[in-house]
Amino acid sequence: MDILVFVKRVAATQEEELRLIDDGKNIDLSKIPFKMNDWDNYAVEEAVKIVEGQGGSVTAISIGSAESDEVLRRAIAMGSKDGILMETQEAIHDPALRAQAIYNFLKKEDIKFDAIFTGVQSEDDQFAATGGILAGKMDLPYASMVIGIDAIENGYFVLRRELEGGLQERIKIKAPCILSIQSGINEPRYVSIMGIRKASKVERKTFKFNDFASRGDAIIDLIKWSYPEKKGGATMLTGEMDEICKEILEILKKKGVC
Amino acid sequence: MSYALIISEVRRGVFEERNLDSIGMAHLAGKDAFLLIPEGNYNLNNSIVNKIIKAKLEESLFLNPLIITELISKIIGTLGAPEIVIFTHSSSGIELASYLAGKMSLPIITDVSGYDRNEQIFFKSYYSDKVFGQFKKAKESPLVITVRSGSFKDHVTEKGKNAEEITVDGPSGIEERSFVEYVEEEKTGVDITKAEFLLSLGRGIGNKDEIPKFEELANLMKATISGSRPVIDKQWLPKERQVGTSGKTVKPKVYLAMGISGAFQHIAGMKDSECIIAVNKDPEAPIFQYAHYGIVADANKIRDKLKDLLQG
Ligand SMILES: Cc1cc2nc3c(=O)[nH]c(=O)nc-3n(C[C@H](O)[C@H](O)[C@H](O)COP(=O)(O)OP(=O)(O)OC[C@H]3O[C@@H](n4cnc5c(N)ncnc54)[C@H](O)[C@@H]3O)c2cc1C
Ligand SMILES: Nc1ncnc2c1ncn2[C@@H]1O[C@H](COP(=O)(O)O)[C@@H](O)[C@H]1O
Repeated sequence: MDILVFVKRVAATQEEELRLIDDGKNIDLSKIPFKMNDWDNYAVEEAVKIVEGQGGSVTAISIGSAESDEVLRRAIAMGSKDGILMETQEAIHDPALRAQAIYNFLKKEDIKFDAIFTGVQSEDDQFAATGGILAGKMDLPYASMVIGIDAIENGYFVLRRELEGGLQERIKIKAPCILSIQSGINEPRYVSIMGIRKASKVERKTFKFNDFASRGDAIIDLIKWSYPEKKGGATMLTGEMDEICKEILEILKKKGVC
Repeated sequence: MSYALIISEVRRGVFEERNLDSIGMAHLAGKDAFLLIPEGNYNLNNSIVNKIIKAKLEESLFLNPLIITELISKIIGTLGAPEIVIFTHSSSGIELASYLAGKMSLPIITDVSGYDRNEQIFFKSYYSDKVFGQFKKAKESPLVITVRSGSFKDHVTEKGKNAEEITVDGPSGIEERSFVEYVEEEKTGVDITKAEFLLSLGRGIGNKDEIPKFEELANLMKATISGSRPVIDKQWLPKERQVGTSGKTVKPKVYLAMGISGAFQHIAGMKDSECIIAVNKDPEAPIFQYAHYGIVADANKIRDKLKDLLQG
């Protein structure tokens, strides 16, 4: 089975302060570390596991700046055979434009596959939409929130989708199809620095995003960024560690739980 | 006519409460609310929408991207194109909305939690609520959105009369994608929804080796341990301990969150706790907006100090 997996390089902002600049037109990401989108890490692992089991190949594809090569190397170190970069210097905010570019790319370059995997969502934009839009455009069956692949038989995936509150549904879906992979589906393998270094020796192909779509084709516009509206907010406990912890214990006592 | 087409989410006979946010969004945008729902007996107040479109098909076929898309083209064929198509930002809503947008080449904005009616601007979360992007559609076209649960239900108003009902024929099953069965989570001994005091751990605690040290603290405080999704995904804690939309909804007396950022899928599962105390090293962590008490500090240091104090 030949599987294409989409991997995105995202800013790891969890512990960082995000500063809006240029009157909210931009976010300053200059001092922020980047990494592979968490959900894509699970998607690569799932694809590699399938191919290890029944043969075939995994190709990792990323849209982004030249630095996105990092996530391609990581995907190769995990077991992907090829890496493809669709290079664009600026972030593409509209998921429909990303999907359009991918669609045009796959057609024009005549890329063959049995399945396309994406992550459920990007950590940065949280659209959770790229895979579904692509499936709609390509007229392929689609499933998201895939939390378990139970079998691949007679040209069908039998898989479980995660719903809410711990409930799942089992469905059957015909290949070729597009699946968006949910975190927790597997345990992504460890990748060593050595592994990544070795992956650098595998040649990656680079294409220009602009050869497949133009920014002007976006069908939504980002007007600007803003900070979240402050709600009430918490009473902050400050001071020495010792004092803070005594205060916490006071609160617990007052609430009658400790 | 300018109407909003609302795709309701129904599962196992239940009209999900988050549909109210979709209806509220339609009201806030000043559009007639047309609700698409499969035939059946659902508990729904039919004076809060203008039209109910009943699809003649089984519930298990309804929330299928390929089938919904067919239903929606049929509706557009008879009623004309809606101004906006609204889904809930849930497991199925996201899946259906994105597929529909791709199939019909419609603009899409997901996880919408705010709307500026004058400017027709939609607010969507980026980086787990650290910032919001303000979006507009860039072409004249129906817009597809998914709305965040809890964001718009306060805008729902009664229309003073019952909705008109029409029916639309649904396609029969399709072989490209079919429903097999529901799979329930295994029942285990621990039920975090019953605990009065939860010590909840997030990715910020660092690694698995920290867990036993938190267990010691939990023992001393008589707290039950729960966690955010990444902690469960990484198998630091078992699945039954997960708080959030895809885990459990909890309402303990005290929810002590350590190293949890406060993504909405997590918040949705714990925001109604009586008292929320959050420890996070980032002063801008969104969880501080929902907490009653906040501490900007290293969770592991707070843990060790609390242990010291309790052991006296
Ligand atoms: C369909 C879907 C369903 C989901 N369901 C759920 C769900 O049910 N439950 C859930 O929780 N999530 C769920 N998520 C995931 C959710 O979007 C977030 O990714 C997740 O909640 C983040 O978990 P976290 O806060 O532990 O990690 P992060 O967002 O990585 O945050 C870690 C935090 O720890 C802080 N930190 C770092 N080091 C320290 C330290 N030493 N001391 C103190 N603080 C520190 C950081 O500042 C940061 O705020 C779901 C996502 C999707 C797409
Ligand atoms: N720039 C990108 N490069 C590669 N893959 C992407 C990119 N943007 C989105 N994807 C894929 O689409 C998934 C969902 O992204 P999103 O719709 O942005 O939430 C991600 O998990 C990736 O697999």
